[in-house]
Amino acid sequence: MIILYYLYKKFSFSLILSERFRYQFYEVSMKFRALFSGLRSLFVKGAGYVFLSGILITGLLIFLGNRAMRYTSTDEYCLSCHSHPHVEPTWRQSTHYDNESGVIVHCFECHLPPKGDNHLMMKIKHGAKDVYGEWFKDADKINWEEKSTLENAIHYTYMSGCVDCHDNLFPSTLSKEGDEAHLYYTQQKETVTCLNCHLSVGHYDENAIHAKNVDFGKTVTKPTVVFSEPAVVDEFKDFTEYIPQTNVSFEMVAVSGGEFNMGSPESEAFRKPHEGPVQRVRVNDYWMGKVEVTWDEYLAFFNATASEGRKSLEELQRDAGVDAITGATPPWGAPDQGWGKGDRPAITMSHFAAETYCRWLSKVTGKTYRLPTEAEWEYACRAGTDGPYFFKGDPKDYSADGFMKKIFKPDTSVINSYVIYLLNSEGKTHEPGEVKPNLFGLVNMVGNVSEFCQDWYAPDVYASYSGEPVMNPTGPVSGTEHVIRGGSYRSDAADVRSAARDQTRTDAWLVTDPQIPKSIWWYSDCIHVGFRVVCEVESVLTKQ
Amino acid sequence: MEKNSKNLTRRHFLETAAIAGTIGTLGIGAAISSCSRKKSHEELGLPPLLDMAPDGQKLKAGLVGAGHRGTGAAKNFISAGRNLEITGLADLFQERIDACRAQFHQYDIDIPEENCFTGFDGYLKLLETDIDVVILATPPYFRPEQFSDAIKAKKHVFMEKPVAVDPVGIRSILSTAQKASAFGLCVVTGTQRRHKRDYIETYKRVANGAIGRIVAAKAFWNQEHVWFRLREEGWSDMEYMIRNWNNFIWLSGDHILDTHVHNIDVINWFAGKLPQSAIGYGGRHRRVTGDQYDFFSIDFDYGDGLSSHSMSRQIDNCANGVGEVVVGTEGYTNCENRIYNPDGTIKWEYDYPKDEKGEPLTTVKISEYIQEHIDLVTAIRTGQYINEAEQTAHSTLTAIMGREAAYTGKKITWDEILNSDLKLGPEKLEMGPVDMKLEVPVPGTAVTID
Repeated sequence: MIILYYLYKKFSFSLILSERFRYQFYEVSMKFRALFSGLRSLFVKGAGYVFLSGILITGLLIFLGNRAMRYTSTDEYCLSCHSHPHVEPTWRQSTHYDNESGVIVHCFECHLPPKGDNHLMMKIKHGAKDVYGEWFKDADKINWEEKSTLENAIHYTYMSGCVDCHDNLFPSTLSKEGDEAHLYYTQQKETVTCLNCHLSVGHYDENAIHAKNVDFGKTVTKPTVVFSEPAVVDEFKDFTEYIPQTNVSFEMVAVSGGEFNMGSPESEAFRKPHEGPVQRVRVNDYWMGKVEVTWDEYLAFFNATASEGRKSLEELQRDAGVDAITGATPPWGAPDQGWGKGDRPAITMSHFAAETYCRWLSKVTGKTYRLPTEAEWEYACRAGTDGPYFFKGDPKDYSADGFMKKIFKPDTSVINSYVIYLLNSEGKTHEPGEVKPNLFGLVNMVGNVSEFCQDWYAPDVYASYSGEPVMNPTGPVSGTEHVIRGGSYRSDAADVRSAARDQTRTDAWLVTDPQIPKSIWWYSDCIHVGFRVVCEVESVLTKQ
Repeated sequence: MEKNSKNLTRRHFLETAAIAGTIGTLGIGAAISSCSRKKSHEELGLPPLLDMAPDGQKLKAGLVGAGHRGTGAAKNFISAGRNLEITGLADLFQERIDACRAQFHQYDIDIPEENCFTGFDGYLKLLETDIDVVILATPPYFRPEQFSDAIKAKKHVFMEKPVAVDPVGIRSILSTAQKASAFGLCVVTGTQRRHKRDYIETYKRVANGAIGRIVAAKAFWNQEHVWFRLREEGWSDMEYMIRNWNNFIWLSGDHILDTHVHNIDVINWFAGKLPQSAIGYGGRHRRVTGDQYDFFSIDFDYGDGLSSHSMSRQIDNCANGVGEVVVGTEGYTNCENRIYNPDGTIKWEYDYPKDEKGEPLTTVKISEYIQEHIDLVTAIRTGQYINEAEQTAHSTLTAIMGREAAYTGKKITWDEILNSDLKLGPEKLEMGPVDMKLEVPVPGTAVTID
């Protein structure tokens, strides 16, 4: 007993000599103590020496284990594998490295939960994944940009780690907007995470702006070509529209009306109940934008109408009858996500903003532009086809759902040639030129960005339609959310079927907008929805 | 032998420690899992209720809003114990300051003129003077910003209820409350029922199961018409509205907040939870000035079948009364001083102090108006922290939810009202004309509350 006690003392004494072992000493000694008392009774019965060596070996293992834990949590160790080029510089440029207080936040403090909160398990889990990735994957082929998006970042960044350091969510230096945002967070921890607003605090992103972006979309250089007049159209065929006083033009496709089966049969894979019952529907002729409204087009509107002063939705709806169109206020953050503007589809505008864009476009072109009805949208998407897609293939093959897909990769070359979706988008929108059009000549009808329709959303609206065929249905007379169609760059193949339906989610899409009232022009938390315009034939051809 | 005894001693120690540890663990476990054990005064988060605040360093207080209630609150503050002073005032109007100073002069207390400030920003200047505590007693519209500035200036706060008039103000109070906690600044609000000894004794029994599970409640504040002022010549829009603040929604929040919030707060307190939604009626028949309603009737739904009927009216010659009733599975209570059996017989009654003749008095030993200041000063001087801002913000928001339910005619949920962008009041605070639509709300016509 005394020998053991002596060894124990000596062992701890030699450890305590070194400052850097203090932490291990504490942990080791606590574990020793536990072992000590637990085995005491056996020891007294005479089995002491067996346990003496057992304890020493266990102690040594714990000691080495602790050292290993420490070593594998150093920044150097993390960075020895995580060698993709942006990781280290963006971390060093971030506020978690470069800040007034001089505190450096280390890799493991954000990317593992705090000690005592499943730290070890998560370390093993992420470690195993990283080792697999390091040995079996090619780092150059991994889309790191996509990995850095909010959707992915929340899987390897721990909010418990954030609040472990950021104890005080209401420091007196916090702004009014910050107060509001943090109060919201404390009440809605399920729906909003720290990263929703603070995504780039650990890895600097030059495109990230969490502020009112007053310079957004302002072009510095004047365009060389400026259209003075809108397109003159005298027959029902494809035409190019010109936005007067800008250098922006876009293609409109003549869609000859007809009948089609709207919705999907119950036999269709991944079908949801709100896609039925299938209705025979007839729509009249209309023109439809060949591609989704681009940033160039949308910014022409934004720059012509943008206003600093804010008006309420009620005021704006009242003003809708008068000539002057008040456009969007400056957005919060970077609406284009730093992916680039130009021909890329415009995103993050609200449904109201999209409708206002159409009113403005109608005014400057003298034609009637509007959002498509859901029926017009599906008719145009199907372009005469009746299957799940307007191209060949089975949703069950294309969907990433299911474990077997990871092993037996089906041929996705057909869908890849038509659709920007989850498996080929690399987590962002693409320019329309990258895929083929459908039979009507329309590009990106499904995928790339989801598209607003003018209809209110109701899950059971098809059942309410009557008529054989149903003539030009326009959805429910009222509602709270609108229909969106087509799926987006983040959709699985199941959700880019011609009949797939979805809806706007106004509250969720404004979660992190700190303004009061929240913007009616920009969604702070929706980056996958845009729109496409239709032009009414009567507004153009009956005029002559 | 020596070795042996040492061993025995050590062994004995280890065994004792092990037993003690086991008992300790069991004890904590029992305390956590036990529901039947009575919760103590402290466990229920109740203030210590001393007759007088303990002595300590001098505490200087500044008063913001030197009207009737403000002056009263300032007097209550100095009555709470020794070494308590009022050293500065802020009010929009000079004559209010003069009147308040004159009242204190009667008690031989002189509030120095250089510490008295007028104007909308007078309170900011007051916060710069050497004070420890600030008493906020202006019309409730001003409270959120003043509370925020007071905490920024690191002052302990006594503030009157209600604490805001709209959800935007409530959220400001909620975040400022967190900052106050972070700084260790004490906050007591004017919900004096929570500092009234008979209410507290009743609450302790109800919280410990005296009436079983709570299944229904009602709260009422029905009274004669309240004061109003007619516009005098020379008063601008702003001056008129503030002098007649008790009749304008944006300044008072309407009387469902201004007075009835007391009863609503008691129901939230006794129920131990907040309502999930409200549906209600209200209207305006007899009021002379302003844009407020003169009656409300609201059903607050607390979930799990518990509803509270909430009535408030300010009309003469009607059935009047103020109070609360909470009904449980095993009895009911008026929340103030009596607990009844289900058959109506009295189960328990508060034991009021007796006068010289041995007759029970009708009131508690220490007035609740002074008790709340005793509780504040006690917390400041003993370090037993108190912060009532959040609970009163929640009760004020409950009243706002009821008010908006009546104004709109719609069902309003807690989540809707908590996150609503509704903000009352003019764009700018300055004396002069005010460009505001002052329309009496008509149920069924509102588009949306946010």
